[in-house]
Amino acid sequence: MMRGAALRRGRIVEHLAAGSSAAGLALCLLLAGGIVLLLVRAGLAPFWPQPVIEYTLRDGRSVLGELMLHRDGALIVRGDEQARPGDGYVRLREAEILAERQPPDAVARVHADGRRSYRLGEAGPDEPDLVGVDRRNALTFAGKLAFFGERLRAYAIGGDRSGDAGQGLLPALAGTLTLVLLMSLIVMPIGVAAAVHLHVYAGRGRIGALVRGAVGSLADVPSIVYGVLGLGLFVHGIGGGIDRWLHADRLPVPTFGTGGLLWAALTLAVLTLPVVVATVEQGLARIPDTQRLGSLALGATRGETLRRLLLPQARPAVLSAWILAVARAVGAVAPLMLVGVVKYAPASPIDAAFPYLHPSRQFTHLGFAVYDQALISPDALVGVPRAYSAALLLVALVLVLNAAAGLVGRRLRDRDRAFPL
Amino acid sequence: MSVPLRAQPALDVAALVELRRSSRRRRERAGRALAAIGAGAVLASVLAIPVFLLFELLPSIAVPDGTGERLGVLLSGTFKASVLAVLLAIPVGLAAAVHLVCFSTPLQRSRWRPVLDLLAAIPTVVLGLIALTWLAPWLQSRIATLLVLAAAVLAAVLAGFAVFGQRLRRHPAWRPFVALALGLAAGVAVIAWDPLAGSVEADTPWNAVLVGLALGVTAVPLICTVGADALQQAWDRHVDAAVALGASRWQALRSLVLPAAAPGLAAAALLALGRCAGETMIVLMASGNTPLASADPRDGLRSLSAELALSLPVAERGGALWRMLLIATLLLFVLSFACHLAAARLRARAAS
Repeated sequence: MMRGAALRRGRIVEHLAAGSSAAGLALCLLLAGGIVLLLVRAGLAPFWPQPVIEYTLRDGRSVLGELMLHRDGALIVRGDEQARPGDGYVRLREAEILAERQPPDAVARVHADGRRSYRLGEAGPDEPDLVGVDRRNALTFAGKLAFFGERLRAYAIGGDRSGDAGQGLLPALAGTLTLVLLMSLIVMPIGVAAAVHLHVYAGRGRIGALVRGAVGSLADVPSIVYGVLGLGLFVHGIGGGIDRWLHADRLPVPTFGTGGLLWAALTLAVLTLPVVVATVEQGLARIPDTQRLGSLALGATRGETLRRLLLPQARPAVLSAWILAVARAVGAVAPLMLVGVVKYAPASPIDAAFPYLHPSRQFTHLGFAVYDQALISPDALVGVPRAYSAALLLVALVLVLNAAAGLVGRRLRDRDRAFPL
Repeated sequence: MSVPLRAQPALDVAALVELRRSSRRRRERAGRALAAIGAGAVLASVLAIPVFLLFELLPSIAVPDGTGERLGVLLSGTFKASVLAVLLAIPVGLAAAVHLVCFSTPLQRSRWRPVLDLLAAIPTVVLGLIALTWLAPWLQSRIATLLVLAAAVLAAVLAGFAVFGQRLRRHPAWRPFVALALGLAAGVAVIAWDPLAGSVEADTPWNAVLVGLALGVTAVPLICTVGADALQQAWDRHVDAAVALGASRWQALRSLVLPAAAPGLAAAALLALGRCAGETMIVLMASGNTPLASADPRDGLRSLSAELALSLPVAERGGALWRMLLIATLLLFVLSFACHLAAARLRARAAS
């Protein structure tokens, strides 16, 4: 009898342990899913047409505009902007409002300088600078969907002049991709060479252990420290040196001695080097030793074995190393703030003028756009939704890259399982 | 190239080999040199950071006035944020690791892996954005609600499993989802009811609790994966003996596996601490960047990394501010290096 009670108690303790530990996993799922859902919702919401509402106040006035925020018994309504974008906000207390309706004949208008204005009835030809007019209250769901798609497209690929979106995300996306590509060109040859040295030549010797330990400790150094290195060594040291040597006529205006694409790419290359070396070396180590020994026994040199036998088999590992490095680099914003990322690049680092790629120019970046719009934007009610849109694109980019690396890795494992040697 | 026919083909091959030997040797040497250059570049990039910092700082020993106090404030901010984050992340990450190792099958483990990878892959600037714009306004007057929330969720999950645990034994894969449903129900109820709203009011929406929560999200997947590695090793080594003696999973975990894995778990916490101490974007966006030396988690803070991101672009090269910031960088580097070394030691001990 006593034994039964003890057993039952033990079983309940077991259930409690399983349950509380499952709660940790559940929280991880909730966090991951919640963050992604929040980003999708908040990142796409600014493009969905908000209804134009007419508020009738107790004192007889009426206000026409879009509801931006409803908090603590007060409403922030975006009404007509007279002089510049962002000057049309009206704060209404709930107690002031007599009635609100969504007039089907309301017109939302966008001016050439980004201002919004709202009218009832005819759009009116009174102002010549209108670039967009819509009657969104009268739109059907399909019409709203089309409107949403159009605004989203315009924001994502730029050239959008219809107000809210401003400059669009294209320059930031182009800057990010150019930066990451340039970084890959630097880091991949070095990383693969180092991994090859570790695996083929250094082996388990003292130098190999030294380099391995160094790579491991590099991975844990905070990214901002790399930013300091980039600013001090690359920008001031090497860039300043190049300026004194090649562009002495233009000093003190710096050409290479200021933050720019090349220095940012170099900084990110140092940052992602550990990922590349570790992943490629793992890939090389996964190839059965019998193959290497067989090749050597047939008289091939180590270099020939490497080129003909090992590197072709390690190609998926190199690919996955590249994807992981890019994913890490795309998310690293802090070091860029020290080595030349800007809000608006006065001249894009890639353009149609020879030599097409201008490595000394400043650049824009998606991650920095998130930071900048959220914190430094003069109009938070517009800036924060834009920051969410940029964040959504950034997260989508990182997640797609990580998923791709995972797929490549899984194919690699499956192949190993299929041909055990 | 044609070789005249001879009676002994082996000699032809030997001649060919002789002909190509020098070019092969040259190629071999070139390949070896290329690989060595790569390894040299890696070593150089490792050494570049400390060498550069020392080279810049050493010429004069003089430390600008006020550096000590300012660095002290920044260090205290860094510690406050990262310790809070790790304390918040340890229960979650550890629980998840325990569940993955002790209460899951390998198939479930491989299915949960992408969730943790996803959480780890989210750029920190995005977490900073969410903390700044979404969490901060809600959290300011509800720091006490947070404690009630944690207690209520835990109580709901425990009660649920005390009742339904026996039935869930047949469906171990459902446990996290059942826990999610129970916890969500309790959490939504507490947030809607909000018993303690306004009872603990923070002066600023950008306080250390907010930073700790956001940094904690980055620490959870790290603690979970490193901790799960350590637990798995200990589990594989000890569980057969424990089960042979009649222990349940929980008894094996508590009495054998957790003590054996303790160094590895400590290493996980240390790694997370180092990561959080160097994290920049979250602290920069969510901490308010107020240089305060206070231990109160309701106050704002300013960390070493945020100071670097804010002040270094405007610092004049070689000036007093520049030197102070380089000392801050050196501190950060030494801090992360120490965490890395200590964690590596502990993991090596756990593995032996």
